[in-house]
Amino acid sequence: MKIRGAYIAAAVAAAIMIAFPAFLGAYPLNVARSVMTYMALAVSWDMLLRSGQISFGIAGLFGLGSYASILAVLRGGMDPLLSIAFAALVAGLVAFALGFAILRLRAMYFSITTLALMEIFRIIMHNLHDFSGGPEGVVLPEVIFGGDASALYWLCLGGLAVTIGASWYFERSKLRLALTAIRNDETSARSNGIDIFKYLLVAFVVTSTLQGMMGAIQVQSYGFTTPDTAFDANFTLLPLAMALLGGIHSTIGPMAGAVLLGIASEWLKLKIPYGHLVVYGVIIIIVILFMPNGLFGLARKAIRKAGGAGSPGSASNGSDAEEGAR
Amino acid sequence: MVNKRKTTLVVALIAAAAVIILAWRPTVLIYGLQAAGLYASIAVPMGLILGIVHIVNLAHGEFLMVAAYATYLLCKSLGIDPYLALLPVTAVTAGLGFVVYKLTIRQTLKAPELNQLILTFGLGISMTQIANLLFTSQTRKLSFDYVSASIDIGELSFGVYNFVFLGAALLMVVGLRWYLTRTTAGKAAVAVGQNPRGAAIVGIDVDRTYGFVFAMATALVGMMGAMLITRSAVFPTVGSPYTMKSFCLVAMAGIGNIPGILGASILLGVSENLLKAFRGLRGWADIVFFVLIITVILGRSIRGKKA
Repeated sequence: MKIRGAYIAAAVAAAIMIAFPAFLGAYPLNVARSVMTYMALAVSWDMLLRSGQISFGIAGLFGLGSYASILAVLRGGMDPLLSIAFAALVAGLVAFALGFAILRLRAMYFSITTLALMEIFRIIMHNLHDFSGGPEGVVLPEVIFGGDASALYWLCLGGLAVTIGASWYFERSKLRLALTAIRNDETSARSNGIDIFKYLLVAFVVTSTLQGMMGAIQVQSYGFTTPDTAFDANFTLLPLAMALLGGIHSTIGPMAGAVLLGIASEWLKLKIPYGHLVVYGVIIIIVILFMPNGLFGLARKAIRKAGGAGSPGSASNGSDAEEGAR
Repeated sequence: MVNKRKTTLVVALIAAAAVIILAWRPTVLIYGLQAAGLYASIAVPMGLILGIVHIVNLAHGEFLMVAAYATYLLCKSLGIDPYLALLPVTAVTAGLGFVVYKLTIRQTLKAPELNQLILTFGLGISMTQIANLLFTSQTRKLSFDYVSASIDIGELSFGVYNFVFLGAALLMVVGLRWYLTRTTAGKAAVAVGQNPRGAAIVGIDVDRTYGFVFAMATALVGMMGAMLITRSAVFPTVGSPYTMKSFCLVAMAGIGNIPGILGASILLGVSENLLKAFRGLRGWADIVFFVLIITVILGRSIRGKKA
């Protein structure tokens, strides 16, 4: 019963999301696209985090995907839609090759190396003047779908749906058990017969593919990119803050965080042109210090407390708790 | 025995490389050493924190930036030289470091390492963005005559001012070595770094040592921030690249090996300037750091696996 309730809620939410362009103007749709992009990145970051590996290189794979897509269209004459799949494939392959080296690293070494990789990608794109356009970047002759706001929105929504679907699969399949075991105690996971490297590689390649895909969607929607916009540190920072605020190790947490922070940042951007990102830094600090499980962790605790006091009438809350607990 | 022969070989190779570079383009070596001084003097405090408190401070460069802004404001309003402002600025950043440690980092010492990493990442972002809020992203620069001092040797002419950073780095390494091996407080700090529980059992106040070391490291960074302003403009992200570079140097030297940081800096500074000597490769000089950091980290992990 509870599970069916959750499915119905998800279907209703999806229907509303799909219908958005019918009753929203161009600017709200643009905001929605940026929120969805960050949401997909936040969810994908969290998917790798579930194995205990913290990546600071989201922007690296995002930028790699956007360059792969724009260059495939510009230099290879590829169809824009196809180039998105191509970019996802490139990001996945690069992650596969790199994974053999960097997935042997743990903790701070892994994190710093992903950060360094992002810088390397950026410097390469900066310096290959003839191929990638150098510091000025590259411009497409025309945006995908002729720049139609609704079509762009649905494209981005499609990317987000793929990401959420992957994350949902991660949560419900055997993968979740393996990744959680690795996160909790690597030695005991290994002694229980889990092929740690294989699972980490799967998680790393899948999340990188998703990040590359979102980069490609973003670049096709705006029609241009430069090394500094493609590898903008914000693509690392914002998803991180969103996932932390919402609650890590779940799909719903990063999604909620992205909606909250995405809309808040759009508002703050107008109020404070310089330095509105301070909010993100402060949120990261507060979450780490006071609520390491994020908003959903707090909600779960509150619900459990309420449930302990004895309130059988709150069936609708129960389904939320079920969702959060996964 | 084998190890010794290996070391001799490495030293001989380095000496040969230095001689070749000196004969071919002496400026590469000179500017490389100057850059090495700057890198090392900023990396040493990070090595100190990593070696004793065991925290990767991703807000390291931001402390540098805060110090640079403080120096800028002080020099601008009072019209004094950055070297006069150095002492008050150092005191301010030491205080800031202590407060930041007490309020935030101390709370996560028992939490998983990842929490500390994310926390200092957030601290760094907050500091950069507060600077953005207060000063906007406009660059600010003070200029001084003595910075452009140069020397001619034969046909060779080069700036000498930047050797000041090499001096600072040497002073820091020697001073810290003396402090950590000769004074009681320093020895206690080393003990805490090696084994916090053991140190606590023999009666060392671990928390106070951590706080003191953190404050001392940020004071040293603050000193470098005051000196940095003599040669560089100030803007909110001025310190960010140094965080990565410092971590790279510390990881190369090995955690806890402070003199090694100086050697690693010289290797990086010289190879960076070597690339800059070729016109076509100038843009790639920045990549040296990142390639080296990845090579070193991977090399260490593979060697660690074999052992």
